[in-house]
Amino acid sequence: MNRSWDNILDKILPDNMLQAALARNDPATVELIWDRYAGDLLAYLQAVLCSRHDAEDVLQTVFVRIVRKRHRLAKARRLDAYVYKIARNEASSFISRRKRERKVKSLDESWLIVPKAHQELNELAEELQAVLARLPQQQREVIVMKIYRQKTFLEISRLLGLSPNTVASRYRYGMEKLRILLGNLIL
Amino acid sequence: MNDKDTQNEQLESILRRAHLPEPSPGLKTRITTEATKAWNQTSQEISWQIPVRRLIASAAAAVFVIWLANCSSDYALARWQSGDLPVAHQKPSDLDALPEISYSPLARHLVSASRKPSITDASALRSYAERMHLILNEAQQNGVSKPQAPVEGRSRLLPTQPGINSFS
Repeated sequence: MNRSWDNILDKILPDNMLQAALARNDPATVELIWDRYAGDLLAYLQAVLCSRHDAEDVLQTVFVRIVRKRHRLAKARRLDAYVYKIARNEASSFISRRKRERKVKSLDESWLIVPKAHQELNELAEELQAVLARLPQQQREVIVMKIYRQKTFLEISRLLGLSPNTVASRYRYGMEKLRILLGNLIL
Repeated sequence: MNDKDTQNEQLESILRRAHLPEPSPGLKTRITTEATKAWNQTSQEISWQIPVRRLIASAAAAVFVIWLANCSSDYALARWQSGDLPVAHQKPSDLDALPEISYSPLARHLVSASRKPSITDASALRSYAERMHLILNEAQQNGVSKPQAPVEGRSRLLPTQPGINSFS
């Protein structure tokens, strides 16, 4: 069986179990949701907001929203898509609030890091971060989910409610721009 | 094409040299605490309250819609009863071309009456009939006392219509 389908089938069962736990109205479900979604959601929010601090704040709002909407989530056809939709909406309202209040996002904080053993790559991480920040948000979120969270186009398309072709073309356009912007690093 | 693929692979490997940090334990504690607090607050709402609240909201919306419909119908009715409905389409009248006809007051009244909205109120209808009767009487008296000779073979009753010569 295809690897992507394996991944999807692996994730269907935990979502069903999570939905059952949500339906039982058990507060311990918060931990389960955290273990299942926190890493992916934080990466997604960092890709959207280009700021670790803002992403953490929005992640908290997302979790509170998930808890408040748990009755709907328990009945949702696709739990992961619903969770990402909540995250997307919260990120969008955060961005519009930031624009309205004319707050400048802090550019000095690093949301891309390098392993401690390779501190010499710090400059590279900073350059990559700056270059990724120059991409359109839609292309950036696809690249981040594909490269840093090892998601397939099919998974990304299901999470973001897009067609796989749209996701693939966003990835391709983003990579083309990165190739131009990082021309000095490519042989 | 192969060149592009190689470049893409290179680019991916460059991007993979950095990575995104996992959520810290401190962040987990902060967020799960907040979420659990929100959970406990909302659990106090008993599950049957949700459909009841939805029912109340839809009932309120229905009442509002009915009230709005009532208001708009009252407004429309008030305008209609006062008779000041705007004339959407006004036919050009030949009132100025009728002075030589002895029944001109009647013709004027008929033309102006045709512009007004229809009368369905019984008292209004009665007064309208009385007024018509009065006007007809006046017209008849005028016609008897001051007969006017038809001009160039025109009929006294009707203005000449194009293409109809049978009255002459």
